[in-house]
Amino acid sequence: MRSFRSMIYPYIIWSFIMIIIPMLLIAAYAFTVKGNSVLAFRFTLENFRAFFADSVFLKVLKRSIYIAFVTTVLCILLGYPTAYIIANIAGEKNKFMMVLFITIPTWINMLVRTYAWLGILQDNGLVNTLLSMVGLPTLRLIHTDFAVILGMVYNFIPFMVLQIYTSLTKMDKSYLEAAQDLGANGIQSFLRITLPLSFPGIISGITLVFLPAVSSFFIPKLLGGGQYVLIGNVVENEFLIAGNWNFGSAISLIMAITIILFMWLAKKADKDPSGEGGV
Amino acid sequence: MKKIIALIVCAAMISVTTAGCGGTGENNETASNVVKVFNWGEMIGEDVIRNFEDEYDAKVIYETYDSNEMMYAKLQAGDKYDVLVPSDYMIERLLNENALMPLDKSLITNIDNLADEVKGLPYDPDLTYSVPYFYGSVGIVYNKNNVPKELIEEQGWDILKNTDYKGKIFMYDSERDSFMIALKALGYSMNTDNEDEIQQAYEWLLDLNNTMEPIYVMDEVIDSMANSVKDLAVVYSGDASYILAQNEDMGFCEPKQGTNIFCDSMVIPANSENPELAHKFIDYVLTYDASYDNTYTVGYTSPNKQVRDDISSEGGEYYEIESYIPRSGYEKDEVFHDNAVIREQLSNLWIKVKSSEE
Repeated sequence: MRSFRSMIYPYIIWSFIMIIIPMLLIAAYAFTVKGNSVLAFRFTLENFRAFFADSVFLKVLKRSIYIAFVTTVLCILLGYPTAYIIANIAGEKNKFMMVLFITIPTWINMLVRTYAWLGILQDNGLVNTLLSMVGLPTLRLIHTDFAVILGMVYNFIPFMVLQIYTSLTKMDKSYLEAAQDLGANGIQSFLRITLPLSFPGIISGITLVFLPAVSSFFIPKLLGGGQYVLIGNVVENEFLIAGNWNFGSAISLIMAITIILFMWLAKKADKDPSGEGGV
Repeated sequence: MKKIIALIVCAAMISVTTAGCGGTGENNETASNVVKVFNWGEMIGEDVIRNFEDEYDAKVIYETYDSNEMMYAKLQAGDKYDVLVPSDYMIERLLNENALMPLDKSLITNIDNLADEVKGLPYDPDLTYSVPYFYGSVGIVYNKNNVPKELIEEQGWDILKNTDYKGKIFMYDSERDSFMIALKALGYSMNTDNEDEIQQAYEWLLDLNNTMEPIYVMDEVIDSMANSVKDLAVVYSGDASYILAQNEDMGFCEPKQGTNIFCDSMVIPANSENPELAHKFIDYVLTYDASYDNTYTVGYTSPNKQVRDDISSEGGEYYEIESYIPRSGYEKDEVFHDNAVIREQLSNLWIKVKSSEE
């Protein structure tokens, strides 16, 4: 076994360069004053004070979490049945085809797919053209909560489906047979066996959906319009327009801490023996 | 089976994580016949690069950006280029940082082709460091069927607050353009650093945001207005020319309260590795054929006088397109100046404006 241990060193070096150093840099920027270089380190909490002193940033953060939360819940509600159906479909080949259908859209660049929705939801886009063709009143779709959440769910749902699907296929089917032997009906055995056993899949699905959703800035910008400010847009603005990397880093750090907090809560729910801890 | 799924998941994740950083591969060629050009996206004629390469037996490495700020960030990150095409205020900023090389005019003989309107602009009055590429103004594209021409000419920027057009307005998602509009509408200079004036402009924009349901967009505005999605849109004159050429219901107005006149110009960074070929490239862009190709393809106004006059006169591509030749010499029009402190202040105020409504 000992000989294998050395194989992890490249990974450690890699993660140090790609993960640890950038994180340290962000932290260094976040706690320093604008203008002085990182080398001339002067500690400050001013960037954090500025964030919490202005209600607008907290409002934006709240909205980002809300949108990400709704997206995640919808992904579970839509993704779970999908994964369940795929996992229970007969024949390996059929399963493979179904998984392929779920993943094919992710082969296309996310920008392009989001632009496609713009064309569909536009005031004179596909949906409204069809509606007016059959004489129905047109709908205001683009630049609404609906459009943003639709775009997010559409982009992130494959990650949820695949995670749940994997945990469902890993499940030992003999538990279900035992449950039936003991007289459980379909609903009972689903609620008491399948659902708890697939919980790890749901949790990692939440991680993979919630994280990109809470920090995404492109989807809200395009489908929600510029007035749809999420925390990712504020960070982008601080770095590119305002040129205040320190404040941008502080916001990133606050966001990272918020996310870690949420992930910790989700992990805790996972360990909950009843398996019923909500999301 | 599992392996295949794992592979698919990996491929999907890689494609997502790399989506953000569109292909701008490093290139280490430093041969004397290579010139690295960094320009706006969709800002060059179809054959300009190929023709230049043929004529000078050169190789052009061509990369693009979406905003001055993005270009600046790339320069800060240490990327080297031979020709850049920043806007006026960004040239001012680069000049303050001594990041540009003075041009050798003896190598740019076609500079005589330039129109008078693009000479003497405040950031580089003698064209010591920069050669104009395109110029234009900011104005309002309006649907002539729903907005009377007399009304928009009478109200100017204030039409954006005319409640008859509530929910029918596009504006740029840009603190610079939005504050320019507000300051101009209030009769102030767009380059003000007066706290009180900025505060009034902020309230003007806040009021607009909360009463008019404007949508803040980026380049989508071009296709949207070509399809008559809204009645009013704040648009750069070059984009307006494209819209007007596509959709004859649309008109263009440069508001009476004054507007922003801008000029994107070619410059050579001080750390250019091939300034000689960079000069040749700039000189080539000023030729009649290359200038014509550029303006024909892109729609922004050519600084080449002959090209500009030809293409906007009878038989030309932009004949009777009112936005093609921007207003010049109007005393209320201004060129934007860079001010880092104000920029940061405005961009934070702009976030507040945008997120002011629940």
